[in-house]
Amino acid sequence: MKTNKSIRLAAAALGLMLAVSACGGAGQDDDAGGGKEGAPGNTAGFDGKTIKLGVLTPLSGPVAVIGKPLTSGNEVWFEALNAKGGIGGKYKVELVEEDSQYKTDVTVQKYNKVKSDVVAFAQVLGTPSTLAVLPQLRTDKILAAPASLDAFWVREENLLPVGGPYQVQAINAVDYYLTDGGGSKDDVICTMIQDDVYGEAGQQGIDFAAEKYGFSVANTQKFKQGTENYAGQIGALAGAKCQMVFLVATPSDAAKIWGTAAQARYAPQWFGQSPSYTGALAQSAIAPYMQQSVLIVAEGTEWGDESVPGMKQMVSDQGKYAAEEKPDYYFAFGYNQARAMTAVLEKAVENGDLSRDGVLKAATEIGTVSFDGLTGDYKYGPAEERNPPRASTIFKVDPAKPFGLAKVKYLLESDAAKEFEFKKADL
Amino acid sequence: MSAFLTNVFAGLALGSTYALVALGFVVIYKSTGVINFAQGGLLALGAYLGYTFANNLALAFGVAILLACLAAAVVGASVERLVLRRMVGQPPFAVIMITIGLLFVLEPLITAIWGFDSLPIRNPWNIQTIEVGGLVLGVRDLWTIGLTAAVVVAFFLFFRYTAFGLAMRATAFDPEAALAQGISARRVYAVSWAIAAALATLAGITLAAGPAGLSPSISFIAFAAFPAMILGGLDSPAGAVLGGLVIGLAEALTRGYQDELFSWAGSNVSVIVPYLLMILILLIRPYGLLGTKDVRRV
Amino acid sequence: MAAKPHRNLVRSYAQDLRLFGSPTKRAGLAATLIVLLLLPTVVQDDFWLSVLIYSGITAIGAIGLNLLTGYSGQISLGHAFFIGAGAYCAARVGGDLGLPLPLWLLASAAVGAVLGGLIGPFALRLRGHYLAIVTLGLIFVGEHLWRNLTSLTGGNNGTSVLAQPRIGPLDLGALEIAGENYSRNQGWFWLVWALVALVALLAKNLARTRPGRALCAVRDHDQAAEVIGVRAGRYKIGAFMVSSAIASMAGALFGAYQQHVSPDDWTLLLSIQYIAIIIVGGLGTIFGSILGAVFVGALPALIDEYSSVIPGVATDAGGEGFISVFALNQAIFGLLIVLFLVFEPRGLAGIWFRVRAYFKAWPFSY
Repeated sequence: MKTNKSIRLAAAALGLMLAVSACGGAGQDDDAGGGKEGAPGNTAGFDGKTIKLGVLTPLSGPVAVIGKPLTSGNEVWFEALNAKGGIGGKYKVELVEEDSQYKTDVTVQKYNKVKSDVVAFAQVLGTPSTLAVLPQLRTDKILAAPASLDAFWVREENLLPVGGPYQVQAINAVDYYLTDGGGSKDDVICTMIQDDVYGEAGQQGIDFAAEKYGFSVANTQKFKQGTENYAGQIGALAGAKCQMVFLVATPSDAAKIWGTAAQARYAPQWFGQSPSYTGALAQSAIAPYMQQSVLIVAEGTEWGDESVPGMKQMVSDQGKYAAEEKPDYYFAFGYNQARAMTAVLEKAVENGDLSRDGVLKAATEIGTVSFDGLTGDYKYGPAEERNPPRASTIFKVDPAKPFGLAKVKYLLESDAAKEFEFKKADL
Repeated sequence: MSAFLTNVFAGLALGSTYALVALGFVVIYKSTGVINFAQGGLLALGAYLGYTFANNLALAFGVAILLACLAAAVVGASVERLVLRRMVGQPPFAVIMITIGLLFVLEPLITAIWGFDSLPIRNPWNIQTIEVGGLVLGVRDLWTIGLTAAVVVAFFLFFRYTAFGLAMRATAFDPEAALAQGISARRVYAVSWAIAAALATLAGITLAAGPAGLSPSISFIAFAAFPAMILGGLDSPAGAVLGGLVIGLAEALTRGYQDELFSWAGSNVSVIVPYLLMILILLIRPYGLLGTKDVRRV
Repeated sequence: MAAKPHRNLVRSYAQDLRLFGSPTKRAGLAATLIVLLLLPTVVQDDFWLSVLIYSGITAIGAIGLNLLTGYSGQISLGHAFFIGAGAYCAARVGGDLGLPLPLWLLASAAVGAVLGGLIGPFALRLRGHYLAIVTLGLIFVGEHLWRNLTSLTGGNNGTSVLAQPRIGPLDLGALEIAGENYSRNQGWFWLVWALVALVALLAKNLARTRPGRALCAVRDHDQAAEVIGVRAGRYKIGAFMVSSAIASMAGALFGAYQQHVSPDDWTLLLSIQYIAIIIVGGLGTIFGSILGAVFVGALPALIDEYSSVIPGVATDAGGEGFISVFALNQAIFGLLIVLFLVFEPRGLAGIWFRVRAYFKAWPFSY
């Protein structure tokens, strides 16, 4: 009796499996899309009227201080664009924002949640998050704009980077120091970097500059993000008599590092990579020290500098659509990203194809995009031929300015920076 | 030589902070047998309360510290009364997890009220330095060491010479006998949590008053104080102070010389030196340097 | 007049130990299997499938931790270390060497077992709080290793895990059965939950036979266990090895699914999440591990979906509200731990057992 029962059970199970296989496959069969000139056909994220773009960014948690203004930059650009009619004057853009909490698994989950509702991703914030979704971007053939300045992104065809990568910033900082900054290649040049991908990018730039300009990095201090006590590292730098130190950090660590240096009365020429600065530092107790010893290498120009047409337009848009936002160069970055994505979408609409493949194809066809001086012109095209901007801006700290930064040298483009080669990352 | 001394001084300052936090852990452990993982949360809460008193209410810095310690003490005692009281008799594992749960509740509470940005506490030390014999010493570090020493001395005096201190020692030693003598165990538990919270607050404010500023990640220093507590022995206050100083010195000295001497161990090895030291000591003395051996009967 | 014995009467030890002894249990098993088979075909939404896949992977890890902490009473905060080790092993064995699924999965398990065997002896020397903190140290030491052993782990950049879920000719990432194309998430769902079932079965079997009883004896009082002949040392180390092997398998699956891992993934927070899962699910039960994993895994997704309905929660950048979704998640997580420990120490499984016992003893359920 028992055997009969188990046979019956087995047969039922088998029958069920066959029934299962007859229904419900969700694999990729084909992709709906236009393909011919004229109005693009309806496809994922596009319903004939509105183009939807995904945003995967930390809207909460500690990195939200970067994510929120950056996203606001995206939003303001598109609101201004929509007011003028949208892409091609016809299609409005809507952002689908998801909070990635700066965690890789949450980013992957949110990516899966929205990927079939969007044409492309206007923003994916964070190197680890971007790396986590990159394999799926490749399989799903979706385009995404990463919100970080890593050199990795340049040769990825599924990514649409903006701005001069960290390596370029570092090289330009060295160039400035050796020309206008009062330094020479016999000086003791050192680095202090965060112990992760971001830190290594800056170090890579300095090493390249060292080769080109003929000096060697005398001392490199690494630190873990969130350390409370930097006396040891500062002591080591001072002991090595470093005259110039390139710092790759995030704002809270940078504040502690500069504060410790101030306390130790150690004042080399500091160059900080762009993400090490935030407006609050100019109002803090270490502002005097920073005014004296710190220069920030970043892009674009100081907030409100009307001589740059892009800045004028951006400030006006921000005043109209996001008046409560404080001046912030992360906002400017988001604004730039949105401009690049707009160029891609315009091209795709021109080709009449907003499907996944169409967008990727458009990304290779947009040529050089100008950002009206907010950042250097980016020569896009097929991934192997892309040329990111090689210019950076040197800022000094000035508490009187809106974001606390005053430009010292605008769009410095050193020869060494032009020679840096971007290779496809071996991830 | 001066570089060495500077590192030693930095190590003492760091060690003082660890000692304060570890002392808080030990006070709670000794009287209630609980390891309070939420100590980091209490530290952060206390520091943020200090910020509110010093900045928003514009009180004098010393007054702000005192009020913050009092406020944190009240929070600590209420936590003990509301939550830990129900866990009497539960296995130690469960109680550890409850304190972890409390930590998880404290963190979002802090960020909801004060946000994630780095806040500068208004304080008289900032980044001032004084020069002593060719060495540049930070005023904040000097005050940290000084305050810690004062607190530790007061602590020991309290436990040795006051009636309530004696009552607490009695309860820690044998709760039943203490009860028989008329000592209220409930009050002892509440006071020990209050003391621990106050100690953590002092540690947090002195830490935040420096160039660092106050941000939610300040609570992580408590995790760095674990090795100090274990090294000294879970139930030994003297051990906590000793452990804190040893760990602080080891970490600062390694950090100063890590690129020269320790680069073979990977970069930034000073971060794990406290843990390695702790593991090493535990292998030799499983109950810490000054902890009491656990006598177990079948 | 031969009365049938009551359905709850157990007349032999072997019968007591049976996994699916009663008809209700068998029916439950069949229902579960049917649900697991059909679910991806009905719920085709990629987001929920990925949530369930992550939950399943977490369930496997939780089963491992429950064996160590629930059954053997060894407090370990170092679970994240073994999970990370498994992921990197999968990257090298499955990705670089291109071996099929069974091989890279077993290789990860083996690596986990070896590492667990190295950590196990600490449990012999230390107990209780001391052991917990040493395992805490393991996480930080592990993080240091992951960041510095660049050739093995890719260092700070992390590494892509290209291990493919291939078993012979069958590629579960791109299934094609009877002409139907199944998406990657559907294939992975079946793979992960089949493994959950397998690991649960193996663990349950371990628990109900001699080693399981020995582990419980060691947990309750190791000296007394030694007195009656249970080699406490051997079982403690064994518990670490088995638990770490299972954790590494979970890590391998995590890495292969996400396709990229970095040292930032293996934090103390992950270990604490696992402990919370086994507490919420029920210490010392296999079923509880799975329940806890699904509950804790799905909760953030559910909060997110319905965050607009919860008052006082800020959604979107600059939205109204007192607390953000992220902070709400953390706070609820902490509250869950506290509430379960205070009011329901046996966890969700405990609630389930109580309900079941009520119906089993009906109409005498008082």
